Amino acid sequence: MSAEQSSRERALAEAFVSLADTLVTDYDVIDVLHQLTIECVELLRVDAAGLLLSDQRGTLQMAAASTERARVVELFQLQSDEGPCLDCFRTSQPISAADLRGMTEWPRFIAHTLDTGYRSVHALPMRLRTETIGALNLFSIQPRALGPDELRIAQALADVATIGILQERAIRRRDILAEQLQVALNSRIVIEQAKGVLAERGQLEMERAFQLLRGYARSTQQRLSDVALGVANRTIAADVVLGPLHGSTSP
Amino acid sequence: MTELPALEQVLREIVAEGGPDAPRRICEACMAALPLDRAALALMTAADQQEPLWASDDIARKLDDLQFSLGEGPCVEAFVDRRPVLVADLTEHAHSRWPVFAAAALRTPVRGLFVLPVQAGAITLGVLDLYRDTPGMLEPDELTGALCAADAAMWTLLGLLDGVTGYGGVDGERAVAADGQQPVPDLHRLEVYQATGMIVEQMQVSPNVALSALRAHAFAESQTILEVAREVIVRRLRFDKEKP
Repeated sequence: MSAEQSSRERALAEAFVSLADTLVTDYDVIDVLHQLTIECVELLRVDAAGLLLSDQRGTLQMAAASTERARVVELFQLQSDEGPCLDCFRTSQPISAADLRGMTEWPRFIAHTLDTGYRSVHALPMRLRTETIGALNLFSIQPRALGPDELRIAQALADVATIGILQERAIRRRDILAEQLQVALNSRIVIEQAKGVLAERGQLEMERAFQLLRGYARSTQQRLSDVALGVANRTIAADVVLGPLHGSTSP
Repeated sequence: MTELPALEQVLREIVAEGGPDAPRRICEACMAALPLDRAALALMTAADQQEPLWASDDIARKLDDLQFSLGEGPCVEAFVDRRPVLVADLTEHAHSRWPVFAAAALRTPVRGLFVLPVQAGAITLGVLDLYRDTPGMLEPDELTGALCAADAAMWTLLGLLDGVTGYGGVDGERAVAADGQQPVPDLHRLEVYQATGMIVEQMQVSPNVALSALRAHAFAESQTILEVAREVIVRRLRFDKEKP
């Protein structure tokens, strides 16, 4: 086993241990999903990862992404109309596009993806028994084929995301799954509302607003979704979350 | 088997037409298309503060009253936890989840309760209560229909609260697609909610007032909500305190 391989296996083991730790305590689904996208980027050495969930109204919605860069978020959102993630969700099969250049499927999606600076896309289904609830989406700047081991890791991470959504005892019950999906998606909307408040208050990009929101939740040991709700409802002052650097009414 | 596309079409029309009759029409559309026996829609501002807008019959009305006076039950839970509460068979919950409510509710014929929060992120306006007299979970496509009805209720209640109703653009689809493109499902676009947050800060108002302002502006300018939201995000358009 090469040194690189063994260090990667260690990283992989650590990631799963840390995710498993999270899942046995009282956790915040949306925060776990975000963490998972970050792990995907690190473990699979891709450049961006996102999780899209079925909103149970026939559309895929972005629930979490490793970056909140507007252009990338747009890419994830675009896939509610067309793209590998949507196909993966519909067929419940992994889809790999090692190099998008020259491909003719999904013309709008590919044009936008290349334009954003990505060359390769992978999508892994999030499955629970017979149901597919969403897909994990991986983007790379360079043309990139994932090997069988990497695809297995990616699928395992997608499975962890599915379990994270379900929470403990819920796995047997379809009604709980439906409830949990709605909670995760609504939390995402709350986060967008809170990002908007912070971005306006501090005159920041949405990505920076998200970083500060999450940083504040971590440093005060609160759930990301609780902090976001407080900021959106103005029960948590934006200035407190923004911190001294952004607190006042800058330009 | 549900007539889902038909239900979605009816809901779109109800949202487009708006007006004080919309709560009744939404509930009746659900009862017509889904295997339900009763329905009700209530505005809520706190777990113990509600205003019933419409109920299909005395039993639905009684179930709502009961929960709000007891402070427990699926409606209260859906509102407080901001999540759908889907109960296939109330007899299974008789002694655990809501002991007082379940004991009283089991004296009515209702067995299945499906309560959906009328919400968008931090905005929670009320609950849509769907009841059936036979136990059983909603099938996935039936749940889809119910969720669409809750979305329709969200836009309708927002309109009733701010007085701007009858706007076909609220569901993000132009009556006639100007550029011949597929209608964009605006309301699911995250930009709408980012812009809502920015307006919360600009106007120093609650998120539902901010979303109302966004929607009213779209109405006045004959734009879609998404178009207006994007203007706000790129900071070409501001909603200030004095100029909502």
